[in-house]
Amino acid sequence: MLPILQLGPLALPVYPISLLLAFWAGLALSARAASRLDVDGDHIWNAGLYGLLATIIIGRLGHVIAFWPAYRIQPLDIVGLNAQAFLWGPGLLAGVIVAAWYIHRHKLPWAAVLDAAAPGVLIGLVIANLGALLAGNGVGAPANLPWAVELWGVSRHPVQLYAALGELITLAVVLHALREPSRPGTAALLGLLGWGLTTWLIEPFRAESVAVIAGIRLWQVIGLGAALAALWMLRRRAATADPSHAVEPSS
Amino acid sequence: MTRRNWNLAIGIMLVVGVIWLWAGRVPAAEPALGAAGLPPAPAVGHPAPDINLTTVSGETFALASLRGKPVVLNFWATWCPPCRAELPELQAASQRYAGQLEIIGVNQAEPAEGVTAFAQQVGLTFPIPLDTNAEASRRYAVRSLPTTFFVDRTGIIRHIQSGPLTEATLTQALRTIYP
Repeated sequence: MLPILQLGPLALPVYPISLLLAFWAGLALSARAASRLDVDGDHIWNAGLYGLLATIIIGRLGHVIAFWPAYRIQPLDIVGLNAQAFLWGPGLLAGVIVAAWYIHRHKLPWAAVLDAAAPGVLIGLVIANLGALLAGNGVGAPANLPWAVELWGVSRHPVQLYAALGELITLAVVLHALREPSRPGTAALLGLLGWGLTTWLIEPFRAESVAVIAGIRLWQVIGLGAALAALWMLRRRAATADPSHAVEPSS
Repeated sequence: MTRRNWNLAIGIMLVVGVIWLWAGRVPAAEPALGAAGLPPAPAVGHPAPDINLTTVSGETFALASLRGKPVVLNFWATWCPPCRAELPELQAASQRYAGQLEIIGVNQAEPAEGVTAFAQQVGLTFPIPLDTNAEASRRYAVRSLPTTFFVDRTGIIRHIQSGPLTEATLTQALRTIYP
């Protein structure tokens, strides 16, 4: 485990740095994929950076509103550099909305943009999971297996590695799909299918999960829902592409 | 792939998916966001490792004796600028929550005289145990200062903050252990 990288007097937190690296690598790969799909890669960078800016601003604004009594005493903290002082949920939602607004505003083809985004998101998830493994975040359940990792006196599933492996396999499938002639949107749906299956499969090996009802894990439900939705949409596309397989209209 | 095969694939995924959802449920004995039965470790969900030190005022300090109260365990040093910046927040919190939770400022490996002088100069009144040989810091895997552990009434670590606390982030972190 290496939560802090000590470089002389500098103590660098590994997980936040891995998130920054994931963001940069994701945008770079998506921009490269976009140019193959006849979408200007600069638009991908712009959408991503505007999204990041919105995430930061709304994330901090949310924190200020949520903890206003504290900020009223120390108003300078509103513009402070403290990385903990953000509400990431509202921030990320705002980031996605702003990126979507940018794509809409520049009349970019949605299916091609999503195809280009798929490999970027996947490589970002791989890097973030490796960072989480190093930092000891999102650890696995206790396990007595040859490949278990020892953490705080307990042998555990290296669940972050499981996730990274599933996302790497999905990335390979998505990159292959991007090289083959296929309908726009296919690569993105394959990416969603792979991510959903990975999440659904590995969530029970995590040490801590949010349960929804009767102990069923929230992220497993989300993963299964995403995989089924992706498979359903792939089926519909296959049906409309090949009229002989078209779904018969109900009478 | 034929329509029949697509439908079969979706059907199989649905059935296998629901079976795995059910099989992978959080065990009833294990709280969804808890970690009962784990060894003491400097990690969220684990019992806080015990520490026994002497404070700047010469009293004995044992973390285990605070069981039943929420505890904010802060590791700091006088040479660390971010630590100095957050100490007034901790002091204000120790007064605001007096009797309801404990703020503890573990000083890392500094001579008692210097720490005492600094504490008097800044006006710190909460307990300051001296981690003279940095044993407690090692036990808590403190790799950078300041680092703060938020320990609930049962002695379980609920939040770890690396880096300085502000009034707002302290308020947010306290919600994990108080009320």
